[in-house]
Amino acid sequence: MSDDIRASEVLQGGVVGPQAPPEQEPPTENLARRELAGTRTLWGDAWYRLRRNKMALAALTWIVILVAVTLTADLWVPQHFGMPNAINTATAEANQFLGPSLGHPFGTNQLGQDMFSQVVYGARVSLSVGFLAVAIAVVVGLLLGAISGFYGGLADTLIMRVADVFLAFPYIIFALLVLSVLPRDFVTGSILPTVLTIGVLGWPSIARVLRSSILSVKQNDYVDAGRALGANDGRLIMRHILPNAIAPILVYATMSVGGAILTEAALSFLGLGILPNNLSTMISWGQMIAQGQPYLTSSPGVVLWPGLAIVTTVLAFTLLGDGVRDALDVKMKD
Amino acid sequence: MSDHLLVVDDLRMHFYTRDGIVKAVDGVSYTLDRGETLGVVGESGSGKSVTALTLMGLVPMPPGRVMSGDAVFKGRSLLKMKPDEIRAIRGNEISMIFQDPMTSLNPVYRIGRQVGEPVRIHKQASRRQARDRAIELLRLVGIPKPEKRVDDYPHQFSGGMRQRAMIAMALACDPDILIADEPTTALDVTIQAQILELMQEVQERTDSAIIMITHDLGVVADMADRVLVMYAGKAVEYGALREVFDDPLHPYTWGLMDSIPRAGMSEKSQLCPIDGQPPSLIDVPSGCSFHPRCPYAQAVCTTDVPPLRDIRGGHSSACHCSGDPGFNRGCSLNVVREAV
Amino acid sequence: MGRYIARRIAQFIPVFLGVTLILFFITTVLPGDPVAVRAGTKPLSPAVYKSLRHAYGLDKPWYVQYVDYLGSLSPVRYSPKSGLRFPGPDLGVSISYGRPVIAMFEETFPYTAELAFAAIAVEIVIGIGVGIVAAVKQFSIWDTFATLSTSILVALPVFWLGVMLQYLFGILLQQWTGGIFYLPIAGASGPPFADWQYLILPAVTLASVSTAYAARIMRSQLLEVGGQDYVRTAQAKGLSPSAVLWGHEMKNALIPVVTFIGLDLGAMLSGAILTETVFNWPGIGNMIYQAIGRRDYPVIFGGVSLILFIVLVVNLLVDISYAFLDPRIRLGSKVEG
Repeated sequence: MSDDIRASEVLQGGVVGPQAPPEQEPPTENLARRELAGTRTLWGDAWYRLRRNKMALAALTWIVILVAVTLTADLWVPQHFGMPNAINTATAEANQFLGPSLGHPFGTNQLGQDMFSQVVYGARVSLSVGFLAVAIAVVVGLLLGAISGFYGGLADTLIMRVADVFLAFPYIIFALLVLSVLPRDFVTGSILPTVLTIGVLGWPSIARVLRSSILSVKQNDYVDAGRALGANDGRLIMRHILPNAIAPILVYATMSVGGAILTEAALSFLGLGILPNNLSTMISWGQMIAQGQPYLTSSPGVVLWPGLAIVTTVLAFTLLGDGVRDALDVKMKD
Repeated sequence: MSDHLLVVDDLRMHFYTRDGIVKAVDGVSYTLDRGETLGVVGESGSGKSVTALTLMGLVPMPPGRVMSGDAVFKGRSLLKMKPDEIRAIRGNEISMIFQDPMTSLNPVYRIGRQVGEPVRIHKQASRRQARDRAIELLRLVGIPKPEKRVDDYPHQFSGGMRQRAMIAMALACDPDILIADEPTTALDVTIQAQILELMQEVQERTDSAIIMITHDLGVVADMADRVLVMYAGKAVEYGALREVFDDPLHPYTWGLMDSIPRAGMSEKSQLCPIDGQPPSLIDVPSGCSFHPRCPYAQAVCTTDVPPLRDIRGGHSSACHCSGDPGFNRGCSLNVVREAV
Repeated sequence: MGRYIARRIAQFIPVFLGVTLILFFITTVLPGDPVAVRAGTKPLSPAVYKSLRHAYGLDKPWYVQYVDYLGSLSPVRYSPKSGLRFPGPDLGVSISYGRPVIAMFEETFPYTAELAFAAIAVEIVIGIGVGIVAAVKQFSIWDTFATLSTSILVALPVFWLGVMLQYLFGILLQQWTGGIFYLPIAGASGPPFADWQYLILPAVTLASVSTAYAARIMRSQLLEVGGQDYVRTAQAKGLSPSAVLWGHEMKNALIPVVTFIGLDLGAMLSGAILTETVFNWPGIGNMIYQAIGRRDYPVIFGGVSLILFIVLVVNLLVDISYAFLDPRIRLGSKVEG
């Protein structure tokens, strides 16, 4: 048993959300009684429980606001606050390190650029990287995890050993290395290299979660029953196994978005994630912090705002993940 | 006031939860003397275990709250003791054996340390003395080669041996009262008999009193001198073993007796389970809490709570009809109607 | 136990080969030329370029380079002339510095070890301490505070935390106290283990996330163990609450925490890149980071090998301590639910 325990699993098992005292959690029977109007399904119950979790609701609201702001940013941000990366050499010196004002809610940086505009467009990069990287990890992880858990044997051994290799990587070092050897003109002005790197490094955890779900679900009689009725493998996976395995994957994926955002910020901070392209609106919070660090003494706001943006966003995904976990009653332990 | 070893008088322990007040124990009285065994019978959720845990001061408060009543042990109220006073009694003068021996022993410590621990705390024994005592106790409860097995870990013991070790632990300080909460439920049938026999032997040797909590009437019949039948947190019938078994007074006890097979039962007579479910302890029925399941229920039963009355010389029942000449087990319903 | 350790080492070998093979794949198949990087803007004559590539073995096929690399890890050397020798692994020569990689590690590794030790000390003392308080005083203001602060801590970007700590304790504190008291914010003074003041901020930064997780795991484990039947047994014996906590709950609850702290060391060494960069700490993380920028492959390979090796050793130590804590594992029996 001990050799199968990994830090990530121990970690998931131990991560406890802000827990309400038990008496605040209504027993399931009560829940069912109160919500008889057709929501007896797992998802109906889960949605009902999630809505009652104030922390998760606040987190979800914050994520929805962020998504809305980034989607509509082109319509109002540059008009009022300026482009995030544009440098007006004529006014740069005069506009340097302005304090917060109506025109510049977060002030300006060393190049006279509007920090609010930068933070808004940084959210676009962070959220895109977060969602896309996790999507890649989930797709690859589900595929390999399904093969591994369902068919077992040599495929299982092979996939799990490769997963071991990936999990043994010193994560940041590998991401840095991959990004550093990619051609500059491919990396510059695109989030794709970062997304691919983070996504590819993320699949083993998803594959393991799915595999262990499948292994536990496979023990159940209804899978045997399905097989006895002549269902083929694809049908068994789609109809019987995935619906049961999806809850832990969903929880893990939600929390992983925050992790991917953190990794992107760290890579960009080290100068190898999102590389700026002065003509585009692409900017990363991590890169803003790296650029602001030398001016910390006189203008801490340059570092403060992008940092707060990262913390609130990552926290939102963590809390939402906690909420989804509690709502779906997932035990994050294999 | 009396020279009984333990007097429990109208004990009520309620739990205050968000969903309401759970009346886990709602009026239980009995006495216990040295060398005597009291059998406490009832379905799960009838408050048997909570009654015992209350005596031990092991009910977390809150949410638990003692609403009324008292438990007087050797003239001192267990419920009014300070935490360190009750701790001095726990495991020393009153000790307890739990249901599941597989989970009741700490997996990371040796059997000897756990069995000897009570004498370390209560008798200020040295490590060496505690170990010797543990070996002696393991021998007493029939563990072979106790001087070797004392250094084993719980997972090296079988279920029956673990329960023997639990008993050894409970006996460490020669307690006056041994509370056994379903001590055989988790064990194989053959082991059950051995454990019960062991407890009887121990009792003969030490003259301690036993409170045997069980849902198994067979265990009660084997062990008990007196019987307390509980339903929905209340004592519904109380009396000497033979009285209660041969001539039960409460319709719930009749139901219990009819729901188990007995030796010599004719093939034609059938088992009659009690209809319905035990009530939720939050939402206890008005009047007699058994009335929704009682075939003899009258109008009065839905409104008035029947007190536990002494019907004949120490055999008491909490039923409005008990004591009426025509009210007998299996009597026709008409007779009951006339009687009330 | 010996057989068990041998089995763990045997399991480690394929993982190690897998990781290094992928490293080789990334660095040889993908473009990027360390010699050109070293030369910088100075034009190299084709002959010099060729001889440099030859000197570093870069002109050989990748599998030959890989075998050379594996050979450089071996502590044993054999040649027909000098016979069997035990010079220890040499890890090759740095392309950008022209020095033996092993000598560079001997300089930088003590700093990282110092940082990691300090961070683990913080993790153990504060993480476990906070977890115990939060569990013992469940639902209290302390518990809420612990839960809230650990949630925030795991959402903090480590490098940003480092920068903010520099601002708070290095700059603001200096201003408030009129320059009397503040903490140094960059570098390490003199030899490792010499000046603890330089260590505080980097150690706290590196420990932050792990400490938060350790506290959460400690808390949830204690609460879980607190509901076990054997704890009730201990209470029924008449043990005081503190005797129950320290004598019966702690050992059981610590097992997963120890596992976490040990296995987390790999993440910590890898994460040291960020902390060491922020604080300009002269450890291996900083060195690997700079080596990546210069395509200095021998340094990168050596660094990754070193980290993998340390993680292996620590995992073994964790397993041994695990067996020490849990007799069911030590005595080789199956753990029951």
